[in-house]
Amino acid sequence: MHRLDEPVTPLMQSTTPDVRVAMLEAQLRQAHDHIAELEASDGVKAQSLANISHDLRTPLTAVITHAEILRDGILGPLTPRQLESVGGIINGGRQLLGQVGEILTYARGAANQLTVVPSQFDLSAVVTQICALNESLASRKGVALVSDVPVDLEHVTADREKIAHVLGNLLGNAIDFTPAGGRVWITARFVAASANRECLVEVGDTGIGIDPEHHELVFREFAQVDSSASRPHHGTGLGLTIARKLVELHGGRIWLESGLGEGSRFFFTIPDVTC
Amino acid sequence: MTALPHVLVAEDNELVSGAMRVLFEETGHRVSIAPSIAEAVQVASTDAVDLLLLDLGLVDGDGLAVLSQLRALDALPRIAVALTGRDEPEVVARCRAMGCHDVLLKPVPARELLRMAREWLAR
Repeated sequence: MHRLDEPVTPLMQSTTPDVRVAMLEAQLRQAHDHIAELEASDGVKAQSLANISHDLRTPLTAVITHAEILRDGILGPLTPRQLESVGGIINGGRQLLGQVGEILTYARGAANQLTVVPSQFDLSAVVTQICALNESLASRKGVALVSDVPVDLEHVTADREKIAHVLGNLLGNAIDFTPAGGRVWITARFVAASANRECLVEVGDTGIGIDPEHHELVFREFAQVDSSASRPHHGTGLGLTIARKLVELHGGRIWLESGLGEGSRFFFTIPDVTC
Repeated sequence: MTALPHVLVAEDNELVSGAMRVLFEETGHRVSIAPSIAEAVQVASTDAVDLLLLDLGLVDGDGLAVLSQLRALDALPRIAVALTGRDEPEVVARCRAMGCHDVLLKPVPARELLRMAREWLAR
């Protein structure tokens, strides 16, 4: 196949303009066919990934439920050490379930199966809830977690669960990449946008920061700036890819400001569709 | 002696239905397991079900068919709850439209599921 970026061949130069146009059109059709094949193949892969991750949940469900039956004393009381051990199974299982859930969300996004179900909701309440969920993780790491969202912030119209998911992923990363003694914060406010208003949310940290040359890389699937097996930060590498997908599904934007050793500030917007 | 509430677990995965059996049998319920639509309909139409825990993917098709078939036989369970691996809005809406009392994403914490089951059965 003749690639579109290859120079025009002598054969083409020696033919009439009509023939050249016909040849170029044929090449264009081939290129379109090739793109369609690649897109179809991508779609099949995304669907397979969604199916696999969905199926992984089933045995995990059984593991977690059996362990909870033991923990809750339904089969009789456990000793403190047995409880500790069973608690480990449950925590490990739930952590794995969360990671499988991330892969499933990513795969559904890649297969264009995610839909936004908008409602009007109180973003400050969601921020409070996400902070509460992450408080113990932050305090175990010795990281201060603060939110600065006005309690009277106007309600936003968006998919509450998906916005909570974005916040959870950004906050989880911020805590993960901030050493002890550091600070992580969330702010939100309405700002004027080009045609409308939008809610601007920031999740910032005083952590290790990201070199500007890697700013685009961090939003790519399965990307971590240090992707070696011995990397100090683990996870699916999908958190920011999912965050970007969910923000863009709302018609918003997501970006970051950061430099190595300077901490990171992630921003995203939720368009105000009520105006 | 009061009869134990009858819980039917329509679930095609033995690991999951096994866990449900232990959970409900050990807490004062009578449990039946059905991995297929046909078996679920057979059980519920011959032995009245108080609580149906319904997986959407059964070996012979869409779990919600259990409800439409039982409706035709006038043998609906007192309470039907979908326990699914998918919580997309369209799935939830379809379950509600077919008469599910609730739609829960697996795995529901054991303690929480028991608490809800007691509430449903107390009605």
